[in-house]
Amino acid sequence: MAKEVRSFQENIRRTFIRFSIVPVAAIVMAAMILFVFSWLTFMASSNEQENKSASEEIAGKLDVYCSMVDKVAAKLKKENYDVSKNDVFRILYEDTSEYGDIGNLLIMSPSMEALFSSKDHVPVFLTQSEYSNWGVWNVISTYKGQTKVTLYSGNLCVSKGIYEGGRLQAAVVYIIPKEVMSSVISNQNRYVIITDKHGWVYTANTRGLQDEFGQIDNTISSEVGFVKLDGNLYYSYRTELKKGLIVYTVNDVNRSVHMIWAIIAIIVVIFLAIALITVKSTAISSVRYTRDIKKIEDAFEEVQKGKLDVNLDIHSSKEFQIIGDDFNEMLEGLKEQIGRNKELAENVAFSQVKQLESQFNPHFIFNTLDNIRFMARIDAVAADKMIVSLSGLLRYSIKEVREEVTVKEDLDHLQYYLNILQIRFNKRFAYSIEVQDDIMDCLIPKLLIQPLLENAVKYGFNGQEKLTVSIRGYQMQEKLIFICEDDGAGIDEELLEEIRTNLKAENNTSSHYGLYNIHRRISLMYNGDFGLDISSKKNEGTLVRITVPKRVAE
Amino acid sequence: MKKWGIAALFVILVAALVIYIDWRGRSYEIEEGDKLVVVSPHPIEFMIPLIQEFENETDITVDLKSMGTSAAIDSIVNDDNVDIMWGGSLLSVGPYIDNFYSYETPNKKDFMYTFTNENSAVTCFSDVPSVLMVNTDLIGDIDILGYKDLLNPALRGKIAFADPGRSSSSFEHLVNMLYAMGDGDPENGWDYVESFISQLDGNLLESSSVVYQGVANGKYAVGLTFEEAAVTMLKSDKHVSIVYMNEGVVMTPDGIYISKNSKRLENAKKFVDFMTSKDAQQYMASDLGRRSVRRDVESSILVVPRYKINNLPVDRNRVIANKDKWIEEFNRIRKEDDNG
Repeated sequence: MAKEVRSFQENIRRTFIRFSIVPVAAIVMAAMILFVFSWLTFMASSNEQENKSASEEIAGKLDVYCSMVDKVAAKLKKENYDVSKNDVFRILYEDTSEYGDIGNLLIMSPSMEALFSSKDHVPVFLTQSEYSNWGVWNVISTYKGQTKVTLYSGNLCVSKGIYEGGRLQAAVVYIIPKEVMSSVISNQNRYVIITDKHGWVYTANTRGLQDEFGQIDNTISSEVGFVKLDGNLYYSYRTELKKGLIVYTVNDVNRSVHMIWAIIAIIVVIFLAIALITVKSTAISSVRYTRDIKKIEDAFEEVQKGKLDVNLDIHSSKEFQIIGDDFNEMLEGLKEQIGRNKELAENVAFSQVKQLESQFNPHFIFNTLDNIRFMARIDAVAADKMIVSLSGLLRYSIKEVREEVTVKEDLDHLQYYLNILQIRFNKRFAYSIEVQDDIMDCLIPKLLIQPLLENAVKYGFNGQEKLTVSIRGYQMQEKLIFICEDDGAGIDEELLEEIRTNLKAENNTSSHYGLYNIHRRISLMYNGDFGLDISSKKNEGTLVRITVPKRVAE
Repeated sequence: MKKWGIAALFVILVAALVIYIDWRGRSYEIEEGDKLVVVSPHPIEFMIPLIQEFENETDITVDLKSMGTSAAIDSIVNDDNVDIMWGGSLLSVGPYIDNFYSYETPNKKDFMYTFTNENSAVTCFSDVPSVLMVNTDLIGDIDILGYKDLLNPALRGKIAFADPGRSSSSFEHLVNMLYAMGDGDPENGWDYVESFISQLDGNLLESSSVVYQGVANGKYAVGLTFEEAAVTMLKSDKHVSIVYMNEGVVMTPDGIYISKNSKRLENAKKFVDFMTSKDAQQYMASDLGRRSVRRDVESSILVVPRYKINNLPVDRNRVIANKDKWIEEFNRIRKEDDNG
């Protein structure tokens, strides 16, 4: 899969986001989890702590009450069941004074009569005959001689039967004042429920978590830890006391869970806001931080397009400033180098052009001189004319220092060449020149048209008796076009192709230098789509066309 | 790579949290052998002291569920976890007797003769006469002696009666009416039922507890209920009086029924033994206003002795066979009354 290459600015932006939002999010989430974790731990351990302390307190009180009942029972037995009220009260006050309520201590006869009551009130479940084997009495007779704590119809009773020889002599019953037990749990900031071992609630600081019978909820009693009840979450802990009571402490986790959710929601909202701002601001700041990069990019693009006069002006940061300055310096150097190269190239082109101009075909000179020698014998006038023409032509080719001449000038000097051809081929050669007057003053390279005539003669007479060459010159759309057309033998397809290929080459690799030289000179002198093209058909003739820019002498 | 690391960290943290929460928890489920599941239509105040005593004596923890008679029957028939249905008259459980476990308690030898010749799938627990409960503050100088007096136009709309389809005590009253007002043939009693329904003025209550509480709290002047509920109200100093219908009172025992599917049969048997024991029956009769089934237990001073009540015998099998039909008939008349 090809990965798309992102821009530097995008990379910077992503880096900002990755190194700001992501770590912060991770840290916040980790912190939240740790917070919940430690909060749960704290809640659970403080719950257990308080449960234990409440249990200890209750167990301590129960111990006090039990030992008090034991003391009264022992006293009774010792004094042969004839104890004065004062003695009993003394024991009672001794042990319960710090609780603020003496409670109801009862001494019962085997026939369910109250021999003593510290509160002058005897509950029916101790006196009515139907209770003789029910409730507290049932406990007394079941656990003979033992001190037992029983929850009966909402009262927590400590009872002990005094048996002698398997017969009940008396029973001591103490009804623990509920206030004393409730005070342990009433100021707790969590739910505390005290039940007997079957789940019947003795006292609680809440009306909840119990069923309609007054029993603790099954879920709470059968599980400790985090408990779900009616869709609410609680943390519950329990301690079983030796005397048969169970102390439950229950935290309502719900409110805290709601609070945590609220906190999470707030954090999420804040976080979204931060994320939004960050994304926006990173977009802006990444643009700002990468503005210089953009400048550099633009500068390079300008240079690529060929505009070398750009200047990087950077002051934002040291690194980019150095890059900018170096770029400017480099560009200066480049410009200088290009100027130098151009000059050098011009020099080279000039010298090349000069050299090309001077390449007259030695065959031509030889043929001409041979003709002159022949003419000198039969026609002195013609020979003279040829010598004059040849010398004029040679003078023109070597003497003219200027690179460019007017069309008229070149045509004038072309006449020398035509004269020579005329004399040389006599009636076999005919020509016509049609050059429009309005281009006569235009500038063209020297000896532009002569090679065309030379070429026509070279290929046109191939087994042909007569050759007619027409030369036309005209302007078209700021270009000058010269056409040299003949009705000669034409050029072979192969040869034509070779010539065309040769024209495109930097160096001449063939002997067809007449056409090559003129084409090369044009391309060295003028930039653009100028030069020479050739077309030919066997036995029909050849057409050569030269295109040069229109330039007028100043 | 880095992203995976962060994700893994979170997974570990969350897993630690979950494990921690789980580790904090511990189960204190009561062992099966120390447990008993009981469903009952008895009033809550009636059940609590008996259940507490049973728990203290046997160390079996009772999971008690209070519900109406028909719901309790449904529960014991369909819920395998329910061991015992405690309460519900023999008439109402009649058709379901096959779902109960046969058990003969040793206490049966002390039962009054009428309560011994039942199917062994049924153990009689108490005797429940249907009674009228009158709010003495609201009744004024209207004399209520029996069903006939309920047709007094001054009482229209002031009579509390529960839907016999839902409450077994109401069904007992329907049976009682049919027999008492039909002069021995229940089919002749429908004329009275029709007049009675129009006296209700559209008030048909949800459950039996709404009846006695409604009368005690003064919402209704007179209610058709069962003796124990009326005695309980009387004992809690409500201004009510109990009327035994002079046309005759149907006394149907209610029972304790062990589920055939019970997984705690031993505990269930202990429960039956305890509830029919002399101590429990004595306490129930004296303090809870319910008539004992035992010969050796005296009734509360608040109730009229059995021999002084005009006891109306019913053909129990006929009642059980016609239960659905009669309830249907009752509902049909009620609808007609509503529409007309």
